[in-house]
Amino acid sequence: MAQTNPPFMSGVPELLVLRMLSAREMYGYEIVKAMRLITGEAIGFGEGVIYPVLHALEETGAVKARRKAVNGRERVYYSLTIKGKRRLEHLSGEWRRVSAGVNSALTGTTGEPQDA
Amino acid sequence: MPDDKFEQLRFELTRGGVAQVYVERTLLELSEHYADLESAALAAGFGADEAARRAREALGDEHALAAAILSRRELLCFEARHPRVANCLHSAAAIGAIPGLPLIYCIEHRPELARWGVAFSLAVTLVGGILATLDWLIVV
Repeated sequence: MAQTNPPFMSGVPELLVLRMLSAREMYGYEIVKAMRLITGEAIGFGEGVIYPVLHALEETGAVKARRKAVNGRERVYYSLTIKGKRRLEHLSGEWRRVSAGVNSALTGTTGEPQDA
Repeated sequence: MPDDKFEQLRFELTRGGVAQVYVERTLLELSEHYADLESAALAAGFGADEAARRAREALGDEHALAAAILSRRELLCFEARHPRVANCLHSAAAIGAIPGLPLIYCIEHRPELARWGVAFSLAVTLVGGILATLDWLIVV
């Protein structure tokens, strides 16, 4: 049975944010900087859009937020929850599967997608 | 990002039905993010105007940002997520409140109602007494 790939279309920001947060607790600006560094600035986006992604992940229980005053500035730090770790594993698996399929198509091979 | 931009964003988000808690959080985080971007640009040697311009550009267009937030259904308040249910609940609450309104009115106007009640009772007693007396006199 053919599988649909909604995460391929809409789950990439979530996947990257969850991956960044799997390393340590971070606030929005830190996440964006880490994301740019780790992806080699391959993904361009208005940095403000990180916040709806974070808030949606918080709403689904994948991350939790806490406010922390640092040098007189109020930061909102995000960390991964158990549910978030499971979501990251799921999205990573989906991404590898889709990516393998696309690679397979680009290299001209046919048949079942291979695991990366 | 200048404050008026945030006010425009606040307006768009509120009008779009984003839950107030997320409106406030978003504005706080954007404000901090903007300050970080501006500081980084200043530290990189740009002038104040250029640093502000770069920070604004990096943060993204506020209309696109509002659209990105409004596309997240989970960030909307209950009324925006379920408008029909919310309308039904509002109507039910209004219908439920109708019988309670006279009671609320009575509680709020206790002294006046007590005065009117005493006056009315006295009037009824007096008129009733006069009528009863006349009736007795006529019968006798």
